[in-house]
Parts: sequence; structure tokens; C-alpha cells
Amino acid sequence: MNLSYIATLMPALMQGLAQTLKLFALTLIFSLPLGLVFTLGSISRVPPLRWVSRIYIWIFRGTPLMLQLFFIYYGLPFMGLTFDRFPAAVLTFVLNYAAYFAEIYRAGIQSIDRGQHEAAKTLGFTPWQTMRYIIIPQTVSRVIPPVCNETITLVKDTALVTAIGVGELLKAAQGAVNRDVNITAYAVAALIYLAITFVMTMAYERLERYFSRHQKKEG
Amino acid sequence: MPILQVENVSKQFGSFEALRDISLTVEKGEAVAIIGSSGSGKSTLLRCVCNLEKVSAGQILIDGEALVSTQSGVVRYPKEKEIRRICMKTAMVFQQFNLFPHLTCLENVTITPIKILKQNKAEALANAKRLLQLVGLEDKADSYPAMLSGGQQQRVAIARALAINPDIMLFDEPTSALDPELTAEVTAVIAKLAAQDITMLIVTHEMEFARSVADRILFFEDGQIIGQGSSADFFDNQQNERIKRFLSGFQK
Repeated sequence: MNLSYIATLMPALMQGLAQTLKLFALTLIFSLPLGLVFTLGSISRVPPLRWVSRIYIWIFRGTPLMLQLFFIYYGLPFMGLTFDRFPAAVLTFVLNYAAYFAEIYRAGIQSIDRGQHEAAKTLGFTPWQTMRYIIIPQTVSRVIPPVCNETITLVKDTALVTAIGVGELLKAAQGAVNRDVNITAYAVAALIYLAITFVMTMAYERLERYFSRHQKKEG
Repeated sequence: MPILQVENVSKQFGSFEALRDISLTVEKGEAVAIIGSSGSGKSTLLRCVCNLEKVSAGQILIDGEALVSTQSGVVRYPKEKEIRRICMKTAMVFQQFNLFPHLTCLENVTITPIKILKQNKAEALANAKRLLQLVGLEDKADSYPAMLSGGQQQRVAIARALAINPDIMLFDEPTSALDPELTAEVTAVIAKLAAQDITMLIVTHEMEFARSVADRILFFEDGQIIGQGSSADFFDNQQNERIKRFLSGFQK
């Protein structure tokens, strides 16, 4: 193992990393809000909305992510829906992570004291206004730790898309390992994953501090 | 016309009768206190008046408008929107304060006028500051509820309730979660409101407070009103043996 060898690996690994980060970012951008839609559905007072949301969450949390990936990439073409590798990966991840986020949000929303709903109701808030101005803002600070935890899992889950041939970080490392019969690329990839999750952990600590500012006693 | 008219209201939770054929009225400017042992239905009545509970029978009129009416055994509530409009003539102060913890004290007071009543921001802000001053907490405007004592939180909750400019204030055991020292600062604020002829219905276990603030006392037992009278009469001239026994339990 030497530095000049590692240097020759970097362009391919960086290209892979770019795909990994793109998948990561797109998944978050779409699944974080989509999760809220399913949360509101799953606690809705309209039975069909509730059941559709709950069945959706049940399916996507109850089956392996890899299987969902195969289903969407290899299975949907049989129903006339064909996706390229990368869009198929994004679609699967968004649908899967939305289900997890939905459950995290639901737990957060339902942990808010009943008195908050009652106070808002006596002040003339509609149920939707109560959600928007009172319940969801308080839920944010409560769900940040589990959501952050989930996104760290997401960083690592992105490696699964190697299975349908998306050229992300792990795939790039695998290519180099096979070509050179040298496992250095795996080690470098591992360090890159570690670096990403380390930076995220740091960022999340700050985020948690910011969102719990009203819980602290000051002055 | 009375601000609040409760007529023949009953409330059942399963087979338990929390309220049995209750009737009472509160006139404009009046302060009425409800006392009685725990579980006698006092809080349930307040919760029916502000629509946190639905009645099983009877009629409630707020400022002459029917929140609920019962005709030939059928309980009828108006549409949700109409219920909200009528109930905004009441404002509730809870035993557990129920301030919004993610908002500063000032924001707790302004959120309803600004977001729900769509009042002008500057006006709502000025009014909120005036209300915080009224409860003696103008210096805590930018603090979050978690930074305040229980008594201070309850005073903010009173300001928040006043901000919707209700016709009647409902107090549900406003001092029961507070120690005696903090109780005094809250009862002082409520007394101040009573002195300004703000209409109020107060459920309380503080006998001295009820006596000094209320014009009229109602005594609840087993979901019924078994005694009532002007404050002085009720406490000094009580004839009912059951109520006498209850009151003697509070004399030190």
C-alpha cells in the first residue's frame, strides 16, 4: 500500500462518491417531506387516507430495501414502467425512507402533551392550525435525533445500489479491487464513509443544540 | 342578557354521570366560583362550556348564542366553524398552564391574535405587551416558558387567554399545580381582573381566594349544584350541613 497508488484510485472513487452524495441528497430532499405526508395520512380522521398511509408504511418498513430496489428496477419493467439505474435507486430510497421518517414523525407528534391540543383548541385554532403552529414545530426538536440517526444509516444504505449496478462509491472501490487484486480501495472507501458520518454527527450535535434552545434555563 | 347560560346540562362518561342536570348563569361583570370536592364535576362543566367535552344533554348559551341545544332528546351542536366562533367568546386557563413551550412568552400571547384572528401585527404586539404588563411579566417577554416559575407561567397563560378578548374567562383550578407562595401571585392577578369587572367562572380549591374574589359561589357535589349564594352568605351563613362540613375541612 503506498500513497501514489492511492492517488491513482482517487479519481474513480471521487466519481463514485459524487454519485453516493447525489443519491443521499436526493433521497433526503424528497423523503423528508414525503414522510410528513404519510404521517398526516396515518393519523388522519379520514379512514381511507389512514389505511392507505398505514399499509404503505407497513410494506416499505416490512420488506428489505434491497428487495424493493430489485422490484423497482427489475420488476416494474414487466408492468411497463422502466427506469434507468440511478432514477430507480432514487425512487426506491425515497419511498423507503419516507416510510421510516413517517413513523419517526408520527411518534414525535403523538408524544406532544394533550394539553397543547386543548390549549390551542380553546384559543380557536382549527385542527390544521394546531398542527402547523403548535404541534409540528414542537415535534421538530423531538424528532431531530432519530431523523439524524436514520440519515447516518442512509449514508451506508446507499452502498446497496451497487447491486443494480449504480456506480457509487462502493462500486468504484470494488472495480479497483477486482482490477488490481488489491484491497486498498476498500480501505479508502471505508475511510470516506467514516469521514462523512463523522462530519454529519458533528453537524447534528449543533442542530440538536439549536433546536433545543427553548428547553434550557437561561437568565 | 347573561354572558353564560347553562341549562339542564348532563354529561356522561360511559356509565358515570359527571354532570346531572346542571343549570347556572353568569352575568356580565360577575365573578363566580365553583367549589366542591374532587370528582364532583366542576372541571367537566368548564370543559363543556369551552367545547373540550361534548354534553350528553342540555343547552349552553354564550352571549345568547347556542353552543349546544337539546330538543326532544337530540343534542345538537352547530358546524365546527360556528362552534369555534362561539367558543372564542370564552378563554380557558388550565391547571397545567399548557403554554406553548416552543414560543417565547410574548409569542405565546401574540400567536392567536396574529395567526388565528389575523389582527394587525403591530397592534397585537402592543396589546400583548400591555397584557404582560397587566400580569406583571413585561420583563419576561422574550423568555421561554421553561425558564419561568409555575406562577409566572400561569400568569402568562392568563395573558394569552385575555389576548383573544373573551367575554368570559374560565379558570380550571388555576393554582392547583402551584405551591402557596406562587399561588398568591396568581390569585392576585385574577383578583385584579375581577376588580376590572372581567366576567369569570373559576373552579378552585382555594377557599380564601373564592371568598375574596367571587361575587357568587356554587357548590358542586356528585355532578349537581347542591348549594349557592353570595360570597359572604355562602361562607358565613351556611345552613347546609354537608357544605359546612366541607368548609370546616379548610379552616385552619
